[in-house]
Amino acid sequence: MDTFIQQLINGLSLGSLYALIAVGYTVVYGILQLINFAHGEVFMIGAFGALSTSLVLFRGTTALWTLPVMIIGAVIASVTTAVLMERFAYRPLRHAPRLAPLITAIGISVFLQELVRLNYNQVPFTSWNPFDLPDAKSIIPFPSIDVVTGPAIQMGGVTIQREAIFTIGALIVCSALLWWFINHTKMGHGMQAVSQDQDTARLMGINVDRIIVVAFALGAVLAAVAGVAQGLQNHNINFRMGFLAGLKAFVAAVLGGIGNVAGAVVGGLVLGVIEAMATQYIPGQFGGSPWKDVWAFVLLILVLVFRPQGLLGEKAVDRA
Amino acid sequence: MITFPPAIVAKHSAKALPMGLAGAGLLVIGSLLSWSYDSQVLGDLSIAFNPGGLQIMAIALALLAIILLLAHKGPLTSLGQWADTERGVHALADWTLIFMAVVVVTITAEAGGLINVQPGCWISLLGAVLLFLASRLLLAKKTRDLAEAVLPGWVEILAIVVIMAALLFGTAYALSLADAMVFVLFLVFVTGMAIAGTRAGLMSWLGHVSLRRKRELILAAFAVAFCFPLTQGGSDANMSIASQVLVFAAAAMGLNIVVGLAGLLDLGYIAFLGSGAYVGATLSSSGFATIGWKPPFFVVVLVAACFTATLGLIIGAPTLRVSGDYLAIVTLGFGEIFRLTMFNLDGNNGPDLTHGPNGIPAIPDLSFGSFNFGDTHVLLGVPIARFSNYYLLLLLLLAFIILVFHRLNTSRIGRGWVAIREDEKAAEAMGVNVFGLKLLAFATGAFLAGMAGAIKAHQDVSVTPDQYIFLESAFLLAAIVLGGMGTIVGVLVGAVILKLLPEKLRFFADYRLLLFGLLLVLMMRFRPEGLVASRRRQLEFHEEDEELAVRVEGDIAEEVQG
Amino acid sequence: MTATTEAAAAQRAAGVPLLQADGVTMRFGGLTAVNNVSMTVNEGEILGLIGPNGAGKTTFFNCLTGLYKPTEGQVRLSGVELPPKPRAVVKAGMARTFQNIRLFANMTALENVMVGRYCRTSSGAITSILHGPKFRREEAETRARAQELLDFVGLHDSTEHLARNMPYGNQRRLEIARALATDPRLVLLDEPTAGMNPLETRQASDLIFKIRDTGLAVVVIEHDMRFIFNLCDRVLCLVRGETLIVGTPEEVQSDPRVIEAYLGTGLDDDDEPADGADGPGTDDTEDTP
Repeated sequence: MDTFIQQLINGLSLGSLYALIAVGYTVVYGILQLINFAHGEVFMIGAFGALSTSLVLFRGTTALWTLPVMIIGAVIASVTTAVLMERFAYRPLRHAPRLAPLITAIGISVFLQELVRLNYNQVPFTSWNPFDLPDAKSIIPFPSIDVVTGPAIQMGGVTIQREAIFTIGALIVCSALLWWFINHTKMGHGMQAVSQDQDTARLMGINVDRIIVVAFALGAVLAAVAGVAQGLQNHNINFRMGFLAGLKAFVAAVLGGIGNVAGAVVGGLVLGVIEAMATQYIPGQFGGSPWKDVWAFVLLILVLVFRPQGLLGEKAVDRA
Repeated sequence: MITFPPAIVAKHSAKALPMGLAGAGLLVIGSLLSWSYDSQVLGDLSIAFNPGGLQIMAIALALLAIILLLAHKGPLTSLGQWADTERGVHALADWTLIFMAVVVVTITAEAGGLINVQPGCWISLLGAVLLFLASRLLLAKKTRDLAEAVLPGWVEILAIVVIMAALLFGTAYALSLADAMVFVLFLVFVTGMAIAGTRAGLMSWLGHVSLRRKRELILAAFAVAFCFPLTQGGSDANMSIASQVLVFAAAAMGLNIVVGLAGLLDLGYIAFLGSGAYVGATLSSSGFATIGWKPPFFVVVLVAACFTATLGLIIGAPTLRVSGDYLAIVTLGFGEIFRLTMFNLDGNNGPDLTHGPNGIPAIPDLSFGSFNFGDTHVLLGVPIARFSNYYLLLLLLLAFIILVFHRLNTSRIGRGWVAIREDEKAAEAMGVNVFGLKLLAFATGAFLAGMAGAIKAHQDVSVTPDQYIFLESAFLLAAIVLGGMGTIVGVLVGAVILKLLPEKLRFFADYRLLLFGLLLVLMMRFRPEGLVASRRRQLEFHEEDEELAVRVEGDIAEEVQG
Repeated sequence: MTATTEAAAAQRAAGVPLLQADGVTMRFGGLTAVNNVSMTVNEGEILGLIGPNGAGKTTFFNCLTGLYKPTEGQVRLSGVELPPKPRAVVKAGMARTFQNIRLFANMTALENVMVGRYCRTSSGAITSILHGPKFRREEAETRARAQELLDFVGLHDSTEHLARNMPYGNQRRLEIARALATDPRLVLLDEPTAGMNPLETRQASDLIFKIRDTGLAVVVIEHDMRFIFNLCDRVLCLVRGETLIVGTPEEVQSDPRVIEAYLGTGLDDDDEPADGADGPGTDDTEDTP
C-alpha cells in the first residue's frame, strides 16, 4: 500500500508537469488547430530563463524569496519566445495548408534547441560571456531553493519529495488562476469565442490576433512554471529537456480531449499516474524505467483507437 | 533587384550591347591572368594562362553572357526570339558580380590583404561590373511561347545528353572539392547559370523537351548515374559519400509517397528504415546476429520489407482514421518507441534481440554467389571498389523506388491521393476509398524503406539505435520540403543538398542544425512547395493566387497527358 | 452498367421502388433537423424536393447518402438497405452533388470526372506499378468514359481546364458529370441552378431530362419554383424538418399551406420567392441550425 501511495504521488507530481505543459498545446490547438510542436522548447527556455535569473541576480543564494523572481524570469523568457514565434513564424502561415505550420514548428524546435546549446553562454559569433553563464552543451545544475528543495518528508511509510509538493501545488494554483482567467475575464471569454468560431468572433468585434497572442502567452506562462518545477525536481536542466516532455504533454492533451483546458489538466495527471504505475507494477522484463517513455505512446494509440475525443472531449459531429 | 530609372534606360540602351560584350570580354581576359598572388588560396589561381577551376567558371559565365547578348541583338537573334535574353542577362550579371565579389573578398581574407589580389582579378571584377551595368540598360522584349519551340529530334536528344554529362562531371567535380570556399563559389556559379537559364527560358524549354522525350531523358539520367563511379579513377572516397546520399535519397523518395503524394505527415519514417536495417542485420551472417536463420539476400530484403510494411499497417490502421494532425505526433511517438525498443532489447529489459545500445556490428558484405561486394572488381578498365559496388546496387534500388512512385502517381491510385488532398469528404462521397488509399501509401512507403534499410545495414557494417533518431526523420522530411513535395527531381535535389552540403561545408559543422531549423522555417514561409515544385503543389500552397492558377493550367494539362 | 443491373431489373419487375426512405429522423443533440420523413422514388422519375431555408433538405440528402447516420429510419435502394457509409451508397448506385460545389479545384475537368470512376474500377497497386493489362485497359476505359461524360454535359472543350478556373455554370455541370461517372441509378442534385441565369437554368433543365432519358432517376433540391414545376414528375415539400405534402406539381403548387410556408409570394410572376435571398452563397450547414 505504501508503495502504491508512493507511486501515486510520484505520478501526480510527474503528471502535474505534463498538465502544465499540456495546457499550452491544447489552448493553441483549440484556437488555431495547430500543434505547436515547438512548445516543448518554450518549456525548456523557461527553465533556462529561471536559471539565468538565478545565476545573474542571486549567484550562490538559495533563499526562498529568490524563487518568485526566478519564476518571473522564466515567464519573461518563455512568453517572449512564444510571442515571437507566433508573430514571425505562425502568423504569416495562418491560411496555408496544415502541413506548412507543422513543418515550421519542427524547424523552430530544432532551431531553438541549437540556439540554446550553442549560444547560452556566449553572444552569437563572439565568445563574450558577460554573466559567466555555464556551457549549455552538457547538463547544467539547477540551483536548490530552501524549503522547496531539500530532504524529503516522511509520512508513515511514504517518502514525499518536497519538489513534488511544489509541483503539485504549482499546478493547483495555476489551474485556479487559469479557471478564473478563462471564465471571468473578457480575454478569457474572447478565447472561448475564438476557439469555437473565429470568423464570428471577429465579426463580433473581438481582436482575434490579440487573442491568439494571449493564447500563446498563456501556454508559455504555464510552461515556464513547469520548467522551474522540473529544474527543481531533477536538480539539473539541459537543452534537450523539451523534446520528450513536450511529446508526452501532447499525449496528455489528446488523452484529456484536445482543445479542452480541463481535459489537459486531467490528461496530464492521468498520464503521469499511469506512467508511474506502469513502471512500478508491470512485471518481468518490460517493467521498470527503461520502458517508461514507451507507455505514453502506447496510451496515445489506444486513445485514438477507442476514444479519439479524449476523456473530457465531445464527439465531434461531422457537418458535411 | 537594382535597376536604373526608365529615363536613363531609354537614353542609353544603345550602349547596352557594346558595354555588355566589353564586360564579358574583360571577364575572359582577366580570368586567363593570375588572380591571386598566394597559390594556396582557392585552389591555385596564381598562374597566368593556366586557369584554375574558378577562373574556368568565370569564363563560362562570360561565354553564356556573350551568347545571350548576341541573341538579344546581333547574329544570334533567331535564338533570341525564344529566349528572354533581357531577364537572362540580368540574372546572370547579378550572380557573376556576386561571384567575383566573393572571390575578391575571399582572396583578401584568406591570403591576408588586398595586396594579394592580382590585376587579373581586378580586370575580371571590372568586367563583371560592366556586365551588370549593361544588363540594366537592356530593353525588355517579347518572346514566343516555348511550347512551340520544336527543334529536330537529334538536337533535343543531344541537348539532353549534354545536360546530363554536365551534371555528371559537375557532380564529380563538386565531390572532389576539398576547399569549402571553392565549393561555395561553385554553388554560386551553378546557381547563377541555373537562374539565368531559367529566366531566359532554358529551363522551360527543357521542361517541354523532357515531357516529349521522357524515355531518352530517363535513359540518359541513369546512364550518367551508372557512369559516375567510372569518373573516380578508382578512388572510393567520394563513393562513400555518394552511396550514403543514395540511401538517403531512396528513403526520401519512399517518404515522398507518403508525404508528397498522399499528404500524410510522417515524422517517424526513420523507424521504417531502421526496422529494415535491423532485420537485415539480424538475418545476416554477423557473429552478433541473434537469430539463426540465414537466408539468401533476396529473401532477407523481402522479409525486411514485408516486416516493415506490417509495422506500417499496425501504426497506420488506428491513426489514419483520425485527423492528420494526430498522425504526425503518433508517427513521431512510434519512431521513439522503435528506437527505445531497439535500445532495450538487450537481455536485461527484454529478450536479447538487438544487443541494446551496442547494436549488431560486424555485418559482412553482401555476396551473390562469387560476387562479393567487399571486393574490388574491374569495369571498363576502372577499378570498382566496395562503396562503388554498394553505390550501383543502391542505384538500382533508387530506380525501382522512382518507378513505383511514378507509376502509382499516374494511376487511379494517384488520382485518388490528389482527390484526398483536395477534399477528403468529397472524395469519400464519390466512392474513393480514402482510408484504404492512405493505408496503401503508408504501407508502400514502409515497404520501400525496409528494402533500403536492409541494404544500408550491410553498407554501414553495423546497426545501432542511435543511427535512427528523430532528427533523421526531420532531415528526410526536410529533403522533401526543400527539394519539392511530390516531384521526383525535387526530392533528389533536396536529398543531394542536405546530405552533401554538410560534408563539404565543414566549417559550418557546429551550426549545421541551427541553420537546418532556420531553413525549414524560411522555406515554409517563402517557398513551401520546394525548389522544384510540382505545379499542382504550387497551387495548393498558394490558394489565393488566381493568376498562378491560370498561368499554370497548361502545364498541369501537359503533366496529365503524360 | 452497374453490377446490380439484373437485380435492379428484377426489383423493377416486382414493382419495388428504386429508392425508399422510411421514417428518417436526424437529431443533433436536442435539435431535430429532420423528423420522420419518408420518400419514395421510382425508376426514371424526377422528384423535386422543396422547402424554405432551414427546412432540412440538405440534411435529408446527407442522411440518404450516408454522410450522416440517421438517428432513426432506413434507406433502401432497390429493396436493399443502405448502411450509413458514403462509399457503400455510391457503390450501390446513388450519387450526389453538393450545394456548395465541392470539386477538386486543382485538378482538370477530365481528372475530376476520372476520380468519379474510382469505385467502378479496381486496378490495385501491383498492376499499376507493373502496367499490367488490367491497368492499361481500365485507364483507357476511364479516360474514354470521362471524356464521354464531359461531352454529355456539354463541357467538351473544357477537358484541360482546371476546375477552379472554370466559370460557375460549368463547374456545376462538371460536378454532375463527376457524379454520373460513378454509374449511379439515382442522382441527387443539391441546388443545381443556384446562381444561374434563365438561359443556364433552361440548359440545366434540359440536361436533367437527358439524364433521365438514359434511365436514371433524379431528385432535385431547388428554390426556383418554375424550374421545379416544369421539370418534376412529383414534388415533396419539407417544412421545419417535416413532410408537408407530396404530390404532382399542380397539387403542390395550389396547396395553400405551401404558399404560406414561402410567406405568401405569388409564384406566377418574375420575382423569386421571398426567401430568394439564399443564392449561391449559402453554405452546406444552412439546414442545420
